[in-house]
Parts: sequence; structure tokens; C-alpha cells
Amino acid sequence: MRTLREMRRLVHAAVTTALALAGGSALAQETGPVRIGMIYAKQGPGASIGEYLQRGSTLAVEQAGRKVLGRPIELVWLDEPNPQVSQQNMQRLIDENKVVAVVGGNYSSSALAMMSVANREKIPLILTGAAASEITGKNCNRYTFRTQATVPVQMRGLMPFVSQIGKKIYFLTASYAFGQDILRSGRGLLKEVGATEAGVDEVPVNTADYSSYILKIRQARPDIVVGGLVGGDFSNYLKQANEMGMKDRIPYAAIAVTDTDFWDVGPQASAGIYVKPWYYNDPSNTAAEKRMTADFEKKYGQPPSDKTWSGWIGMRALLEAIEAAKSTDPKAIVTALEQWKNTDGEIPFFFRDWDHQLVRPAVIVRVKKAITDKWDFFDVVRKTSDSEADTLKAFGGRDEIGCQMAPL
Amino acid sequence: MLDILVSQVANGLVLGVIYVLIAVGLSITFGLLGVINFAHGAFFALGAYTAWQLHQLFGWPAVVLAPPLVALVGMAVEVTIIRRLYGKEPLLSLIVTFALALLIEALIRFAWGADGKPFNPPAAFAGIVEAGPLLITTYRVAVLVATTATLVGLWAFLAFTPYGRILRAGSRDPEMVELLGINLPRVLTAVFGLGCGLAAIAGVLAAPLWTVSPSMAANAVMPAFVVVAIGGLGSFRGAVVAGLAVGIVMSLTIQFKAEAAAASMYVLMFAVMLLRPRGLFGERWERFE
Repeated sequence: MRTLREMRRLVHAAVTTALALAGGSALAQETGPVRIGMIYAKQGPGASIGEYLQRGSTLAVEQAGRKVLGRPIELVWLDEPNPQVSQQNMQRLIDENKVVAVVGGNYSSSALAMMSVANREKIPLILTGAAASEITGKNCNRYTFRTQATVPVQMRGLMPFVSQIGKKIYFLTASYAFGQDILRSGRGLLKEVGATEAGVDEVPVNTADYSSYILKIRQARPDIVVGGLVGGDFSNYLKQANEMGMKDRIPYAAIAVTDTDFWDVGPQASAGIYVKPWYYNDPSNTAAEKRMTADFEKKYGQPPSDKTWSGWIGMRALLEAIEAAKSTDPKAIVTALEQWKNTDGEIPFFFRDWDHQLVRPAVIVRVKKAITDKWDFFDVVRKTSDSEADTLKAFGGRDEIGCQMAPL
Repeated sequence: MLDILVSQVANGLVLGVIYVLIAVGLSITFGLLGVINFAHGAFFALGAYTAWQLHQLFGWPAVVLAPPLVALVGMAVEVTIIRRLYGKEPLLSLIVTFALALLIEALIRFAWGADGKPFNPPAAFAGIVEAGPLLITTYRVAVLVATTATLVGLWAFLAFTPYGRILRAGSRDPEMVELLGINLPRVLTAVFGLGCGLAAIAGVLAAPLWTVSPSMAANAVMPAFVVVAIGGLGSFRGAVVAGLAVGIVMSLTIQFKAEAAAASMYVLMFAVMLLRPRGLFGERWERFE
């Protein structure tokens, strides 16, 4: 009997303690700091890109006074070394750091792994890189948003411009999903732009020496090379193409490059025409983007790369969505992001509500004939589309994209 | 067609000699010390960065100081870390040198930043040499000459000098060498420094060709391991033959089936390992049997 009474007392005490703890933690969740996760590469070949992305995201937080909903923001930055660890880090941010949302993911393979966790745990994820079509296509989910335009969208902007330079095109693409996506899209557009294929090379990732490829290209005598190389591979190609006298001979055009690829090889080896999401010295940049550039230059003594912009816009969209939602509730944030629209510039941009893709024109840039500034390598030629309607059309319709999103 | 094949073979030779230079350092370190040095690529990157820094500060002539400086770093590493691995299980040296590689890469990133460094061939070596069907850049010809000179010098040093004889004897029978009154620990420190210096020479020569970034070693060190495996661990002659073979096979594969280029060297290694598991010139070493 006595034992039963003791047990009742014990259960009562346990329930009271649990309730008190739950109440306390709920209170902490509403008044304590708002934790936001970042997943960007800290080591390996992606470390430089990761640093620029992280600086952009952190700058967005600093510009917001390090506060959202009147509460301090705490940033937690974990690594993006490969898909498996990126996925584990996503889980860690949610389980251990109790983040309300995550911004990050530069590589499509990591992004695909991370977004499955976002969907399972119902935590908003804004991808600041990752161009693979399936992310906002057949693998799309309600909790994942993406700032980078897909490969087909960027190629649709590049190919008409390329065909004005020459009709014989040589494709030099990386031999994995991203490069194959470029090759497929490029080939698909050949007829439309009235061009022909002069040759194709699919290059294994992490190729240090491109001289044998360059010899082949010289032999094929194309009018232009359309490339799909990334990071160090692309920098190696630029450097060796210059060394082998290709710079002024056969132009190079590509998508999804970043400023650091060029800063790494320097003015002497840089050449070509590129589609980029953003350029710091584009006269049509919005007032907020110009302010970000100025703040970045003040803090780091150099201009921001387009990756900085991606990290910055991803974080900025998230903070604005949390303010609009007046809550850190994941569902409320997702709804606010679906309604988020940036109207600072001539062409407004937003996450499309049925696939969560940021719909925004990219810029086409050309490396300057004479580079006099250590950082300013490009002249902006034009945008990939001139109106909101054209931009929407370039990003494709529902049937083409194939995203089927579950309700919240 | 013949024109392009001749050019590709010549190009493969240049690529091959760079691999030889990286692989010889690796092979010597293993052959004489019994340590498989996973950090070899990190010393290659350190060579490139030191060359870049010296070029920034003092101009091109100062770049020749990069390999001796890296060799000194290598000797310091041998005295503090590598020395403890002699005679231990090979797995231990793999783990420790792997950690060392990560540490050096992180230190490079800490000292010079995560961004790459622009570095182009000197103006004196700009341009292309065209001779009949052959097409090659002047800088690559210079690399070919410099590497050949280094390798011949190294061979002469090991084969004909008293110090070279001590090194070769020490690798086979360290106890006997010590009994003869030779300070073997000091010799081993010098050998590790020599290996690191050779990696640095390759780094210096490759810096104007490949992007100078903290992780640049990753692309260079795998072919070097393949070259060592094909040529036979510890064999100088093997490293030379295998390096040239890998360079030429890769160049020709790019010509006919580019997407298989990276796999081609592994296929070559696989074929050689099946026929001669010790590699082309690998000998039977009492110490490792």
C-alpha cells in the first residue's frame, strides 16, 4: 500500500518536473536566441567557395543588426565535405543545435542528401548553390528552396549569345551529373540557335592537366568552346589554355562559374563569356546589393564574389520570411518564403510557390580586354531575360519541371 | 592523324616527367626509410606556395630557393614526427602521414588563405614550339629539361657518390651501416628532406601550369602512387619508366576516349599488378618480406 502511494508520489513529481521543463523550454524557444544553421565547405577544393558563401550569409545577419523578431540570432556553421557528412551535419544542426532553419548547400549531391532531412524533420532549407534540375524538379519538397538557376535555364541564356560568335561549337564538360546536364542542354539547343557540334570531350573530375584536351580542340578548329568545368578544374583549364595560346584564338563560354575561378588564375590567363547569377560591378544592381558590396568591401578589403551574393540573398530571404511570419514555426516560415518577393530592382524576383525555385534573370558577362583592377574582371553584356514574363518563361512550366509538392 | 598523335605523345612525356619527379621522392622515402608518406603531396603544394611567395617578394630567381626550404621543413618533420615510425607497423605510418597531410593543407590555408594564387610561366618561357607535326609550349620544354637534369643528377648522386652508397646500404642493412660507425639517424633525416625537396621541385615546376590552391596536391599525388606501384616500390628506374608510361597512356586515352582518361592509369596498374605484383622493377626486399 505504502509502496503504491510512494509510486504515485514519484509519478506525480516526475510529471510536474516534465511539465515545468517543457514549459521552460517552450519559453526559451520563444524568447531565447534564434539559431540558424549554415552548411558550407570548410575544407578541400570547395573551401574557398564555402568561405565566400558563409561571409555573405553572415553579412546578411549583421545587416539585420544580428536580430530577428527582436531576438538575437545565433549562427552555427558546419562543413559540407561530401553528401554523407553534409546530411549528417544537417541532422546535427536540427537535433543538437535546435536550429529553426538552414541556409547552405553548394553541391547538388550534398544538397539532395540534405533536402531529404529537411523534408523529414520539417525544417526549412534554403540552398544557395546546387544547379541540378531534380532539386526543384522530381525530387522537390515543401521545405526546400533554391536560389541558383538550373542548368537548362542558364544554358538557354548562354547558347543564343554563343551562336552569335560562331556556329561550330566544341563541348568540354565535366564527366558527372552537372557536366552531363550542360552537354544535354547544350546539344538540345544546337538546332534552335543554328549551330553545329565540332566535338565533345567529357573530362573526369579533378583533372590537373588539360593540355591533351587543348591539343584536340585546336585540331577540331571550332569557333567557340562551350564548357562545363567547375572550380579547380576550370581554373586549370583557363591557365593551360592561356599557356597554349588559345586565349585569343578560340573563345570559351560557360555557365555556373564564380569570380574566384578567375581571381585564382589572375588577369593574364582569364578570358571568355559567362553566365553568372550576379556580378558586384553590374550597374543594374539594386540599392541593397550595392550596400552589401560596400559593407563587404569595408569588412574584407575586397569586393564580394557571386557566391557571397548567393549566401547573402538566401539568408536575407530567410530573415525577411521569419519577420513576415512573426514566428519561427517551420510551417509559417515556409508559407512566408512562398509569398516572399524582392521588388528592389527592375525585375522582381521570388521563390515560385509550386517548385520553390528563385525566379530571377542571370547576367551574361565577358572578360575585359584589358584588366586593370585586381578584382574587376568583367564587362556586363546583358541579362539573360529582359522582363518578368520572359524570366518566368525561361524557367519552364509545371509539366516541364515535374515537381509534385506535398501539402504542408 | 599522325600529327596529333606525335603531339599527344610529346605532351604525355612532359606530363609523365612531372609524375616521375613526384613519384621518385615518394619512392626514395619508402625505399630508404620504409615509410609510405601520404603527406608527400602536401610538400608538393608547399613547394608551389613557397615558390609563389618568393616570386612575390624577390622575383623569379628566388624561386630556386623553394625546394631547399621545403627540404628543411621536411627534415624538421622527420626529427619531430617521422623518426618515431621507423620499424613500426606500416599502417601506423600511413595514418600519421595522412594526418600530417591534412595538417599541412590546413596550415597552408591558414597562412595564405583558401583562395588560389595566380602564377603564370615566366615571360622568357612564353610561347609555343612548333616543329613539324610537334606542338608543345616553351615552358613545357623547360620543364622537360629541368626534370631530366634533376633526375640524372639524383641518379648520379645515388649511384656514384659515397653518400649515395651509404643511403643505399642503409636501406638494405641499417644495423651493418651503424656498426661501420656511420650516424644513420642523421642520414635518414637527410633522406626524408631529399624526398620532400623533390616533391617541392615538382610543385615549383607545376605551379605555373596547375592552379596553386591548398588542395592542389590531391590531383598530383594519386598518379604518383600509381606510378610507384607500377614501377615497383623503392625503384628509381621503375618510377621513371612507369611515370613516362602513365603520362603517354593518359594523353593517348584523352585523344581516343577522353572520359576514360583518369581510369586508364588504373587499368595500366591493374595489368602490371596481375603480371608482376612487385611492379615492373620491384625487387624482393628482405626488410619487408
